[in-house]
Amino acid sequence: MAILEVRNLSKSFGTLNVLNDISFDVEKGEAVAVIGPSGSGKSTLLRCVNQLEKASGGTIRFCGMDMFVPGPGGKSVYADKQTLRKVQEKTGLVFQNFNLFPHMTVLRNITEAPVCVLKKSKQEAQEIAMELLKKMGLETKAKSYPCELSGGQQQRVSIARALAMNPEILFFDEPTSALDPELTGEILKVIKELAADGMTMVIVTHEMNFARGVADKIIFMEGGYIVEQGDPEQLFGENASERTKQFLQRYSSI
Amino acid sequence: MKKTFIARITAGLAAFAMIAAAGSCGNGGSAQTTTAAAGTPAASADDSLKKVMDAKQLVLGLDASFPPMGFTNEANEIVGFDIDVAQAVCDKMGITLVKQPIVWDNKEEDLNVGKIDCVWNGMSINESRQKAMNLSEPYMNNEMIFVVPGNSTVKTMDDLKGKTVGVQSGSSAEEILVAADLYKDITVTALEDNVTLLNQMELGFSDAVFLDSIVANYFITENSKDYVILPGNLEAEEYAIGFRKNDQALRDEVQKILGELKAEGKLAEISTKWFGRDVTTVK
Amino acid sequence: MTGEQLSTLFGLMLEYAVPTLKIFAFTLLYSIPLGMVVALLKMCRFKPISWLTNIYILIMRGTPLLLQLIVAQYSVPYIVRSDICPDFIKSLLENVDIRSESYTFNMMLFAFVLNYAAYFAEIFRGGLESIPKGQYEASRCLGFGKFQTFFRIILPQVIKRVVPASSNEIITLVKDTSLASAIPYMEIMYIAKKQVPLYASLMPLFMAGVFYFVFATVLTVLFSAVEKKLDYYR
Repeated sequence: MAILEVRNLSKSFGTLNVLNDISFDVEKGEAVAVIGPSGSGKSTLLRCVNQLEKASGGTIRFCGMDMFVPGPGGKSVYADKQTLRKVQEKTGLVFQNFNLFPHMTVLRNITEAPVCVLKKSKQEAQEIAMELLKKMGLETKAKSYPCELSGGQQQRVSIARALAMNPEILFFDEPTSALDPELTGEILKVIKELAADGMTMVIVTHEMNFARGVADKIIFMEGGYIVEQGDPEQLFGENASERTKQFLQRYSSI
Repeated sequence: MKKTFIARITAGLAAFAMIAAAGSCGNGGSAQTTTAAAGTPAASADDSLKKVMDAKQLVLGLDASFPPMGFTNEANEIVGFDIDVAQAVCDKMGITLVKQPIVWDNKEEDLNVGKIDCVWNGMSINESRQKAMNLSEPYMNNEMIFVVPGNSTVKTMDDLKGKTVGVQSGSSAEEILVAADLYKDITVTALEDNVTLLNQMELGFSDAVFLDSIVANYFITENSKDYVILPGNLEAEEYAIGFRKNDQALRDEVQKILGELKAEGKLAEISTKWFGRDVTTVK
Repeated sequence: MTGEQLSTLFGLMLEYAVPTLKIFAFTLLYSIPLGMVVALLKMCRFKPISWLTNIYILIMRGTPLLLQLIVAQYSVPYIVRSDICPDFIKSLLENVDIRSESYTFNMMLFAFVLNYAAYFAEIFRGGLESIPKGQYEASRCLGFGKFQTFFRIILPQVIKRVVPASSNEIITLVKDTSLASAIPYMEIMYIAKKQVPLYASLMPLFMAGVFYFVFATVLTVLFSAVEKKLDYYR
């Protein structure tokens, strides 16, 4: 069964349609890469799924729970607060610019939500956090503040922070775009490891080689539409649509 | 206690809203407030004396920096000639005297809203005060005189032309000075109290100070200052006590007791204490 | 002035430093939380509330505190006698004893609090608006509720950002308390002014000045320590 089912999702800001008729599934353990030119609606898609934006139409179903369905008059009807909150807790989002809490230590950045939201004991949360930090190669930075870390380190902390909530699915919104080129590698490595561990992920990225290498499925978006979706061989292969080919060509020529 | 505080907060909030709405409730409409005040306490029956007797206190408003009439001493007590007399009056009435410091410029306002029962602070009689308040009979004579430093080149009032003269703001001295022929030839600086004015004159901010002779005499003797009082005066004045426009009964009662005190020699006794002789003119 | 006079005067000034401190402390106690509420009201998405808050801030910042203090003192008797005042408010206010000391103090405090809350509100609003949207979004994605987000994520960051501007305001308040002398309320400035004629000397005012200076300096040192303490992150 698919963890995430998106059906006919649309989103408009005023008269501007940013998302049109978006439909796709994410299976458990699958890594899905979303690619496409800037302004194609990739980030908006993630924000709709993560409840940072209100959808204008369509349905999103997460773990069998309807987040919203089309209501009378075309407006989306959202589920009750409790359901939405449950969905929120079960989804994690890693931001382009990390959004760590600057006033908290690395450790507290990771333990705060498990303690306050999931009501875990402080000790348990700290054990989990230290384990995650070890996995990220940052166990010595637990007492540091975010401002003392490099961009790559900060992004690894923010991944650990999202993982500490034990999400069913993890979303990445261009996780390497704010980093210096030499730092992107460490993040991509972490995501690859997560994929190998069977983490369900949706990754918005401009790293084509990475997408090809790590994703089980690739979604190519342009102008608010999904142009094509399928396994990497298909999209990067000879049978891809003309527009996909054009986009990939342009990208690899830069 | 808590409840009343909240009630007051609500009140104040309403007040601010109203002031914002009405635009001008403040000092602009003093004529209007006088009439409003006249209508308030009791338009029909005059219960002013009864009110004071019921409250067992007379609230006397004064600007407590007017020696020797009413001023603040080293221990921050309010003392003075007026205070002693008022105390004697209250003793006769069997009530307590409450000395309430006020801002002199707002005295009419404080009377109108009922913050004080009377203004009793060496207040000179003038036309605007006669209009705004119910004044007692004059109880003392006073002259408005000029004081200059001992070494001043100013010897007569004519020499004041082109000079700077200090005067207490909101005082009758200021009104007299503004109305005088001399006014167009001098520069006037108005300040809050007479003593600051004298200090300023000493420091050279002004050449002379125009004030009540009573205050000037007291100040010069008390502090053994080298000041000179110019010969002559602009206008002889009289001091009176100010009551609310409608408080006739209270005013008459105080007036009656003043007469009794004069007859008993009590006034002379108090006057001698402060001025060395009986300067009172109460009949 | 003789030494004995000086020590008498100093004792008196010290005694009346207490009411000054009282105004200071109570004003802060009420105006800081109120300022926070006003800041949130101003940022309210329901426009009429935001506008009303704006008008309140405009009036408080656009008119002299001295004037507000005087208006507050005369507000109750004016309302009681005004024609448009509803009867229930009138009956409520008629029992207020405008001659009592507590009335003078409370109305004065009321004006101080409303005035300073307006300034604090603007400082807090600036602080709140300077927090990047990403902080709210990250917090939301981690499942924090609105209150948790505000008190655990946003407020601690806002505090750090508003400390410099607030300390400025608080030190200004030290000196603004002297406006109470114009009501008149017996605090250190009032006493100083009334003692001037007595000694025919400006010494009382000078002493009051020293008091304000010492008080403000203590606060300055205190706040720089607080700022240093909050300097553990960027």
